[in-house]
Amino acid sequence: MIAALAVFFSSCSSDDEQGFLDDLPLGAYDNGVLILNQGNFGQDNATISYLSNDFSIFQGSAFAAVNPTKILGNTAQDIGFFNDLAFVVINASNKIEIVNRYTLQYVATIDSGLDNPRYIAFANGKGYVTNWGDGGVSTDDYVAVVNLSNYTISGSIPVAEGPERIIESNGNLYVAHQGGFGYGNSVSVINASSNSVSTSIVVADVPNSLQVKNGFLYVMCGGKAAWTQDETLGKLVKIDLSTNTVSSSIDFAVGNHPSNLYISNNEVYYTQDSAVFSMALNATTLPSNALFSTVGQGVYGVYSFAVENNKIYVGDAGDYNSNGKVYVYSLTGVLENQYTVGVIPAGFYFN
Amino acid sequence: MFKKLALLLALTACSLIWAQQDSIFHLREVVLSDTQLKNFSDTQNTTKLSDSVIEKNQSSLTSLLRYNSVIYFKENGNGMVSSPSFRGTTAQQTAVIWNGININSQLNGQTDFNTLTTRDFNGIVVRSGGGSVIYGSGAVGGTVHLNNAVSFKEKFENQLHLNYGSFSTYGTNYTFNVANNKVSANASISHNQSENDYEYLGYEKRNENGQYQNTSFNAHIGYRLNSNNEVHFYSYLFDGERYFSGTVASPSKSKYLDFNTRNLLEWINYAGLFTSKTKLAFLNETYKYFENRALENFTTGEANTLIAKYDLLYNLSSKIKINGILDYTQNTGSGSNFSKRKREIGSFSLLFKQQLFDFFSYEASLRKEITTNYESPLLYSLGGNLQLSNWYSLKFSGSKNFRIPTFNDLYWQGSGNQNLKPESALQGELGQVFATQNITFTTTAFYSKITNMLRWLPSSSGQWQPINTDKVTIYGLEALLEWKKEFKEATLQVNGTYAYTVSENAATNKQLIYVPFHKATSSIAFRYKRLIFTYQNLFNGAVFTSSDNVYDLEEYLVSNMSVDYKMGRKKTIMFGFQILNLENKPYQSVLSRPMPGRNYMMNLTFNF
Repeated sequence: MIAALAVFFSSCSSDDEQGFLDDLPLGAYDNGVLILNQGNFGQDNATISYLSNDFSIFQGSAFAAVNPTKILGNTAQDIGFFNDLAFVVINASNKIEIVNRYTLQYVATIDSGLDNPRYIAFANGKGYVTNWGDGGVSTDDYVAVVNLSNYTISGSIPVAEGPERIIESNGNLYVAHQGGFGYGNSVSVINASSNSVSTSIVVADVPNSLQVKNGFLYVMCGGKAAWTQDETLGKLVKIDLSTNTVSSSIDFAVGNHPSNLYISNNEVYYTQDSAVFSMALNATTLPSNALFSTVGQGVYGVYSFAVENNKIYVGDAGDYNSNGKVYVYSLTGVLENQYTVGVIPAGFYFN
Repeated sequence: MFKKLALLLALTACSLIWAQQDSIFHLREVVLSDTQLKNFSDTQNTTKLSDSVIEKNQSSLTSLLRYNSVIYFKENGNGMVSSPSFRGTTAQQTAVIWNGININSQLNGQTDFNTLTTRDFNGIVVRSGGGSVIYGSGAVGGTVHLNNAVSFKEKFENQLHLNYGSFSTYGTNYTFNVANNKVSANASISHNQSENDYEYLGYEKRNENGQYQNTSFNAHIGYRLNSNNEVHFYSYLFDGERYFSGTVASPSKSKYLDFNTRNLLEWINYAGLFTSKTKLAFLNETYKYFENRALENFTTGEANTLIAKYDLLYNLSSKIKINGILDYTQNTGSGSNFSKRKREIGSFSLLFKQQLFDFFSYEASLRKEITTNYESPLLYSLGGNLQLSNWYSLKFSGSKNFRIPTFNDLYWQGSGNQNLKPESALQGELGQVFATQNITFTTTAFYSKITNMLRWLPSSSGQWQPINTDKVTIYGLEALLEWKKEFKEATLQVNGTYAYTVSENAATNKQLIYVPFHKATSSIAFRYKRLIFTYQNLFNGAVFTSSDNVYDLEEYLVSNMSVDYKMGRKKTIMFGFQILNLENKPYQSVLSRPMPGRNYMMNLTFNF
């Protein structure tokens, strides 16, 4: 209570009314979504915004409100939840900030054993963090294993170049090799009891997002863009998790490079440039028309994306230097709410 | 009697001729390769930073200009990459001119002001406002001139300068200068290094991985073939190694190497009213970036520039100067991010100056470039100088200037855009100068409209590409003050600069990031006999760090103090002691990159 009062009084000195409201810790950050704002590379301006599920509460800079003396860091990449904790992976700071997921109170920092960390997942009571190592080196990429009782890195598993998204299913971890500074085309499977790569599944170029549903892993592969002068097709690849083999795939047309795969209520969603597409989970052909376009909101390429609670969330990085925007749409694409978040909204984490 | 008279007349005539030749030689005693800086800068402000100012400041060009000019610098931590903003423009819109040659990088268009060592030059001049007609691409906000003024006056001088300070910072410079009426040679070699591991005030951290070292060599040889012909050779080499420090919340392990060479050969011919200069210059810039200092892997870029120039000055009368310049420039660039490319540019400039009345002179000039790479606009400038009384004059000028796309903009693999146009700036200024024997006070109002500003933006597919997008409106005010008072055994000198700058994106009416509204500097130097006391201040107003003007970096006021004592008459030794950031203030020039707190420096200078 005294701490809250202290914060209240110190906040009063601020003459910015918006900032005044924004500076107070809300106390509870559940029943809503944490929006991770990457910030600019080379600047320590990563932030976390909070939006309640009923859209009644929004806070632009929640981490700083709760932890005013802490700097979240340089280029935030991902958040993973484990029990009561949220693990915030900060790429250029080479660290993970651990906070209470419901209060955002600081718990601990992991700042050794990581090298260009990207995404995090949990399995078998351990954390797994993909790491690029040096961007220019193709042989030093690994998945770091996090000891969740003392918050240290307890091991590392070498993998192919450019491990990016990671997802857990049934004691296995699936790592998409988007490729780092190059172009990857595979998914590594890590057995969480032996902490080793058990197999690698070839998908298509640039696997950029992963979803697990009903015993299948869905991998969205963007394909190589035209400017690489070696353009390849985008592809949605479906992997049978009981055999770890590709069971089917759907090709995208030449020049279409999809990303942001999200599965919600047996519906598959993805984005392509500024447009949002959807199709049934069992569809075998791609939709010919977009569900809706975000161009009306001035979105120039969807930067982050989620579909949850029957709402579609779109993160817009704008000019990548100013505060970004989050737009919330109905499932039919009607804009319902919009918020100014931090710099470069990079991910939605429903809490 | 008649014979005597004739002899006397003849002798007088002779001596008149001699006197005339003497005065020509006298005029030519100091030769500057950058003639236009002297001949065609009457309608704009130029500020010369004297040797004594250069000596009293730290050796990087950033430190010198930050404390002694209106130019604002953003420095990625002490000694790291440093970019200027002059009159609210971008780093690519300030051109650095070495002995008349534009040395901005062909790769990224700007000069890193921490890759130039001030003690290598004997004349550093800041020229405010557009100068593209004379100096080409990037001379938009203003130009910084690094000169080696050459003298054919008999001399034999040596100077050795040593300094040592906090964070294991060492510097040495040795300069020699020999000349007679036939040959003039000077050479300077400098080495600077620092562990640069200063504490981040307010954080329990140090500046890690910020160590640097650099060595530079500058030389000039001039030879007078006869009374009408001179040959000059200028050479500059800079070899720097910097580890790039991280931010408060992120470590760094990167390293950056710069290697730059600049060579210029010049033949000057004086033929009556004509002076012609034929110049051949060769510039090379190379960088290597190591993401991880421990590994051999690096990315690199290299650009070579060949310049052939013919410059003919015609002194039509004592009141009219006409100057034509033909220039052929060839750039080749290659590197990790683009394959080898070549660019050729031909240009012709015509400059005209007339002292129309005793109280009024004007300058008019034109430049047109021919190149296949981009559509080049006709550049021009027009200005006047009105001396209304012996203590008050007015200067006004208007010009069109530009900045051409760089190799990175044009050819970066996958991103380069070969349809880019040059950035173009139309500007005008009006200045007034109050000058008496002891005091000079100058105020200048300026206005500028920049179109086709280049910016790297992501396309809808997320691919970053440069495009001509923004329009920027700039206006502001500059004030310069110099005041000097001599007493019997003492001198008091006060210098001050102030700039108010609004630089707005015309579409959003938001101030450009990293352009302060206010910047001021002041220095007070008091000499009593052989003791000199100097006190410097820098006020840097708040800057926005985001284009929506939501985030900013707060203002800072930093002071330095120094005491110097000189011993000896002809051969002198000077001891100096400096306290930098006297009040130990925490401040950041670039977000998340703190600058050093209070630190110390000792200097020792031998003149022999």
